[in-house]
Parts: sequence; C-alpha cells; structure tokens
Amino acid sequence: MANQLAFYFDASACGNCKACQVACQDKNDLPFYLRWRRVVSYGGGGWVPHDQYEGIMVPDIFAYSVSVACNHCENPMCADVCPAAAISKRSDGVVLIDTDKCIGCRYCEWACPYGAPQFNEEIGVMTKCTFCEDLLAVGDNPACVDSCVMRALDFGELDELQAKYGKQMIEPLADPSITSPGLVVTPHKNSQLAGEGTGKLMNLPEEV
Amino acid sequence: MNVREWALVLFTILAQMSVGSFIGLGIVHFFAQKKAGQEEADRFSSRALLAIWPVMALGFLASILHLGNPLNAYRAVTNLGTSWLSREILFGVLFAVLGFAFAILQWRKIGSFVMRNIVAWLAAIVGVVFVFSMGQVYMLPTQPAWNTMATPISFFTTTLLLGALALGVAFVINYSIVLRKNPDCEEAQCELLHLSLRWISIVTVILLGVELIMIPIYIAALSATGSAVALTSTSMMIGEFGVVFAARLVLVFIGAGIFGVLLYKNAESPGKENALANYAYGAFVLVLVAEVLGRFLFYATQAQITL
Repeated sequence: MANQLAFYFDASACGNCKACQVACQDKNDLPFYLRWRRVVSYGGGGWVPHDQYEGIMVPDIFAYSVSVACNHCENPMCADVCPAAAISKRSDGVVLIDTDKCIGCRYCEWACPYGAPQFNEEIGVMTKCTFCEDLLAVGDNPACVDSCVMRALDFGELDELQAKYGKQMIEPLADPSITSPGLVVTPHKNSQLAGEGTGKLMNLPEEV
Repeated sequence: MNVREWALVLFTILAQMSVGSFIGLGIVHFFAQKKAGQEEADRFSSRALLAIWPVMALGFLASILHLGNPLNAYRAVTNLGTSWLSREILFGVLFAVLGFAFAILQWRKIGSFVMRNIVAWLAAIVGVVFVFSMGQVYMLPTQPAWNTMATPISFFTTTLLLGALALGVAFVINYSIVLRKNPDCEEAQCELLHLSLRWISIVTVILLGVELIMIPIYIAALSATGSAVALTSTSMMIGEFGVVFAARLVLVFIGAGIFGVLLYKNAESPGKENALANYAYGAFVLVLVAEVLGRFLFYATQAQITL
C-alpha cells in the first residue's frame, strides 16, 4: 500500500556532476533560474594542530554534495500555510501545487526549509518538483533518478527506505522534525549530521 | 528588498495604523462624550473616523501588489483551517467592512446608539484579532528571526503608536476646519483638542519606552538561541543595515520622545494651538518614517532555514 513516496540520496556516491539537476530542468522544460532539483556543496574545516608533532598545523578540510528536490514531506508546511489551498498532498504522498489556484504570494517559499517551491516569473505562480508524477503513472522512474550516472538517487516508500538505510539526516538539510521530509540519505564519510554542522554552503554564486 | 517586500511594508504599516486609530478614536470619543456631550464629541471625532477607511483600503491595495497572480486574489481566504495568512486576510477584510459600516452609520446617525456601539466594538475586536493574525503569519519554524514574541509585540506597539499619532494629526486638522467654519472661540473643541493631545503624548512616550526596551531584549534573545540563521539576522541588523537601524532609533526617539514631551507641554494650556499642530505633525511624520524603516528592517534582515 503506497502512502509516502520518498527520494533516496547516497551522499557517499554523489560526484557533484549535476546531471539530475539538468535532467529535471530538461524534462520539466524549466527556465534556467528554476531548479526543482538542486545539487549543493557543503564543506568546511581548517588548520588543526598535528596529532603527533607539537607546533605543527595541518589542513583538515571536508566537502561533499547533496542533491535535493521537494521532499514531499509528511507534514508539508507549504500546504498548511498556503492561503489559497493550492498545495495538496496525494494519497501516495506526492505534494503538488495547483497553479490555477495559486495567487503567487510566495508564502510557501518562506515556510519550506528546503527551498522547494520556486516562483515562476513568467506565469506569476509557484512551481515545484512533481515527483515526475506523469512518469510514475506509466511505471517509469523520475527523470532525476534515471539520469544519475553514480546511481546515487533512488525513490520508493519512505518506511522501506528508512528500514534499509536508516533515518539520519545530514547537513545542510534542515532538522527533519520540522516537516518530516520524504527523504532518506546515506551519509558521505565526511557528512555532518543535521543540526551539528560546522561548515557552510560552498556553491559558487553563479551555480545556485 | 524588492517591490514585493515594500508592498508588505506598506500593507502592514497602514493596516496597523488603521486599527490603532480606530481603537484610539473609540476611547477618545468615549471620554469626549463624558466631558462635553455627544454633539461636541461627534464634531471632534467624525472627520477622523471617515479618514480611517481609505487608509485601510490603500493598505489592501498595496497587499495585492505583492501577488504574482492578482486575478486569484479572492482565493486568499480559502485555507482558514491551517493558514494564518488566510485568517489575516479574512479578519482584515472584516475589519475594513465593519469599520466602514460604522463610519457611515455614525456619520449619518443611522440606527440606535446601542446598535452603532455594537458595530464599533465588533470592529475594534476584529481589528485586534487582525493584528494578532498578522503577527502569527510570520511566526514560522523556518524563520527563527521572526518566530519570536517580539513580532506580535512590535506589531501591537506600531498599531498603538501610529494609531495615536495619526489621531493627533487628524484632531489638529479637524480643529482648524471647525475654527474656519466658525471663527468664534470654540472653547469646547479647544479643550478637547488639548486634553486628547495630552493623552496622546503620554501614550506615545510610554510606547517609545516599550520599543526601546524591546529592541535590545530582541537582539539578545536572538543571539542567545545560538542558531546560526538567527545570528545572520542580528548581524545584518547591526552590520549591513546598521545605518538604517540607527536612523530608525534616532527618528523614533526624536519623534515619540522629544516631540512627545513638547506636545505634552504645549497641550497643558490653551493659546498655543499653532505650536501644538506643528509638534503633532512632526511627531507623526518622524515616527511614521521610523516605523517604516523598522518594518523595512524586519523584512530585509529575514533569515530563513532553507537551502
């Protein structure tokens, strides 16, 4: 019984190539500034004392990538706060924006901790990842999942994915207690747990 | 900051000023009636009452400017079950309708005194709920700098402060119109003007105190959360937007503090109506600019938990 679809992301496999981001833009025919799926780089660290030689400083730095779209949250705050009741959650968990109902107030943008709802300047309404529901309906995978050359992306039932990969959430993703996201991750070896991060987003300005 | 956020600055400031004026006017009218009778009280306040509704309407017009798809604006009240934004718009529209109805009933003396009173009370209560909802709109878990008690407290402070000072200006203008129509000494009106401006100045100075105490408490509270996102907001407030922040503090201190005291002094005895008028205008303009800057900062220092 399908009730909460979720994405799976393997941070230890992601090579930051952004094929998923581009496949999403291509499949959904998005203008350049709309990125329903984004690959962000998170990193940090600095010079630390050498563990053997006193007075010697050595670099200890880390970086890894996270690919994130809409997480089709169990408690979608975007849908709760939308004044126009334009965002709804389907029985399979997919959260969709009805652009005919949207008033373009952008309030969902303030509520979402993942930057999923994005404003389309041309039509004046909010848009976001649809989980490629049209592809799901004919038995295909979402475009991002199929595009990943590292097989770092997958999707499935949230509880099954959690049983297989665990419930941990990594930086720079928000504390999952806010919205209960439909997202399961395998951490990179350097990943920091959500809320315990010491790094920052490393993307270039022209990248995001 | 862009057009959209300026629209929200205008909307929230104008709406709060309308609610504050409406409630303040009710209090002034109540005491004016006790002091000088219903006729004098009405002459003193009905022009101000008629001025409130256009201000509220202007606010709503500004709010529509921030929509990407204004044709769907009517849909903004369709999610009352979970959306504070829907509730805000509903209570705002109700306040505007009830306030307008009361202004017309009072102006044309339609219906009994008790009935008009009920409409006025309803409008005032809905107005308070409206301002409360406005605060709730910003109290999102993903907005640590907004999600504090400081948001509703500052919204209510603005409501009362701008409401009181806007009334001061309205009373001064009304008095000059009354005088022009009837140049004979308008003793009762003159006394009401002095009394009301004295109380307005007292309220203004108290609210200045509230604002000046709230600001450091707010910044300290944000810093104490230890949330990096909340800290971004405070550092923008005193860093990037430090000049605006300082200007806001200086203007509200001069407008509400210094002009407030001068207003009080000149309202003590009759004969200084010109000075009184100047200080009422000055206080209003300075505090209005200060509050607009304050609200600008509110949006400009937004710091969100997001990617």
